[in-house]
Amino acid sequence: MRTWYFSEMAYHPAWKEGIERGSLRVNFPNQAVDPVEAGKLLNRYLDEFRLCDEVGIDIMVNEHHSTATCMTVSVPMALAVIARETKKSRLLTLGNPIANRPDPVRVAEEMAWLDCLSGGRLEMGLVKGAPYEIAPANSNPARLMRRYWEAHDLILKALSTHDGPFSWEGEYYHYRNVNIWPRPIQQPHPPVWMTGMSVETGTLAAERGHVVGTLLSGGLAKPMYDAYRKRARELGWEAKPDRFAYAAIIGVGHTREEGYRRADQIADYVRTAPLVYEGFTNPPGYNSLGANVAILKHGARANRIVTDRNGEQINHRTATVEQFMDTETVFAGTPDDVFNQLKAFNARMGGVGHLLFFGQGGHLSHQDAMSNISLFGKEVAPRLLELGVPEVAAAE
Amino acid sequence: MSHTLTVSGVALEIEERGSGRPLLFLHPGEGLQANRPWIDALARTHRVIAPNHPGFGGSALPDWFGTVDDIAYLYLDLIEQLKLEKTLLVGACFGGWIAAEMAVRSTAALSGLVLAAPLGIKIGGHLDRDIADMHSLARAAFMAKAWADPGKGEIDYSSLSDAELSGIARGRESLALFGWKPYMHNPRLRRWLHRIDVPTALIWGDSDGIVSPTYGEGWQREIPGATLTTIDNAGHYPHWEQPDAFAASVAAFANTI
Repeated sequence: MRTWYFSEMAYHPAWKEGIERGSLRVNFPNQAVDPVEAGKLLNRYLDEFRLCDEVGIDIMVNEHHSTATCMTVSVPMALAVIARETKKSRLLTLGNPIANRPDPVRVAEEMAWLDCLSGGRLEMGLVKGAPYEIAPANSNPARLMRRYWEAHDLILKALSTHDGPFSWEGEYYHYRNVNIWPRPIQQPHPPVWMTGMSVETGTLAAERGHVVGTLLSGGLAKPMYDAYRKRARELGWEAKPDRFAYAAIIGVGHTREEGYRRADQIADYVRTAPLVYEGFTNPPGYNSLGANVAILKHGARANRIVTDRNGEQINHRTATVEQFMDTETVFAGTPDDVFNQLKAFNARMGGVGHLLFFGQGGHLSHQDAMSNISLFGKEVAPRLLELGVPEVAAAE
Repeated sequence: MSHTLTVSGVALEIEERGSGRPLLFLHPGEGLQANRPWIDALARTHRVIAPNHPGFGGSALPDWFGTVDDIAYLYLDLIEQLKLEKTLLVGACFGGWIAAEMAVRSTAALSGLVLAAPLGIKIGGHLDRDIADMHSLARAAFMAKAWADPGKGEIDYSSLSDAELSGIARGRESLALFGWKPYMHNPRLRRWLHRIDVPTALIWGDSDGIVSPTYGEGWQREIPGATLTTIDNAGHYPHWEQPDAFAASVAAFANTI
């Protein structure tokens, strides 16, 4: 299991006001941002990313828009800084919300440029994006995945074509001369990652051999991984753990109490981030027809799907660290505690090759974040690298 | 009472009631809701033909289908296939947009046009929102804008079958497909409204919070000879909220053409 540290570079000073207004996103006016303070925080977060290179773990960056929960507005922009400040870490965009991007060729250019700049360290996540990202991008939620796949195909074609220009006349995108400069170091293109929470995504990712990751969604991961493994087998290959990624909040400390406290502070992100005005939570077409029928019948709660190991739903807004730990969205304690929890998780999942280490949620101080990264990188990550396919799954 | 008819390769679920002169009714973005009294009120004086738009209710939405232009041509084909003549074309809300797109293309089979709080054109400037952003509103806030009496518009979803719920969810997705960007209008349509050469009546609810009567006056300026009538105690869906007043208004207009 490899470790990828990530942080959303939150603007937590505005959270209290956002909570009071009932929305952290889209319709929360940006007068709540002090731009000088934002700049200080961005520099602090970038220092935290740089430490990952020193302690030997990889780096992931994502993006959101129009929100106090994440100041990263552009994965290539953030990674451009990080690429210059690091030497060894692999750099993952998870991801580029390509169905919300009007210009996929521009995405291909940015990814090729980053791959060159970083000496071939780029891993390229191409994602659907969260429902509340539809409004800031004003992209059409209907047929979103159809647009996603066309953008996906065009980006990979642009990265891997070297005798261009070629033309593209699709349903959504039209170019007469695609010929990106520079081209990526990694050929035919940097490794591709997707994210998802469904069996369907697992199957579709397997058909392309992409890495599939799931973010903070406990019990949903296993069925998606299983669907991937099944589809890969049908197609004549065996999906190893390196095709699977899982994101979790991790608080590690010199004592169990310190680890739990750090996890609790990071978990404030999860308690806060989903808060968005109702109008932006379910753009029509974003969710499946079945999910929307369930929402009409039972209300929006029907679509709240994070459950603990007993199948009980938990309330993200109020859950304790221990409750989050039961959903496998938080791992916490001493380095030994966290390693043992992750080892058991790896066994339950049938082998997960990538841990997306959510180690900074906003309220965690810089000193705590640096210590969290450092302890994890030195005392947990090297042991995780030894974890492969668990014995139980290997015997199946 | 509904039947399926395939037009230009698209299987349409069509509600048909009444007899007499044909009235083709194009439903709003919220769907047909054929169980409400509006359709019977209109059927007292006309043969009402009311298709579910492609992707709404039980009507198909083929992969190749995806714009309001497509719907406009499809319904011109429907008129031809049913051999309708001297048709009264009535469109409400999103259906009004479709009706206008049809009428600027051809009025050959139309006797008149009724547009009830139509969406579809842009009148104001870049910072003016002619059409309320229905999709950025919580459901309760939307209902408060769309109805004079929101209680009359409430639907008890728990009483509906999965097929009916699926029809509603499909319709919401399809409305986004057709009208997300530019939002619920065609920036070019206003310039072609002068081509409408049949008598046209605009009907507006006095409490419409989605498109205002001022927006209706914008339509009136563009369509030669169009009249604008207001219905009291009605929001954005006068045919649902005041079905008798709406039917009376349509019948009165039909008698003049």
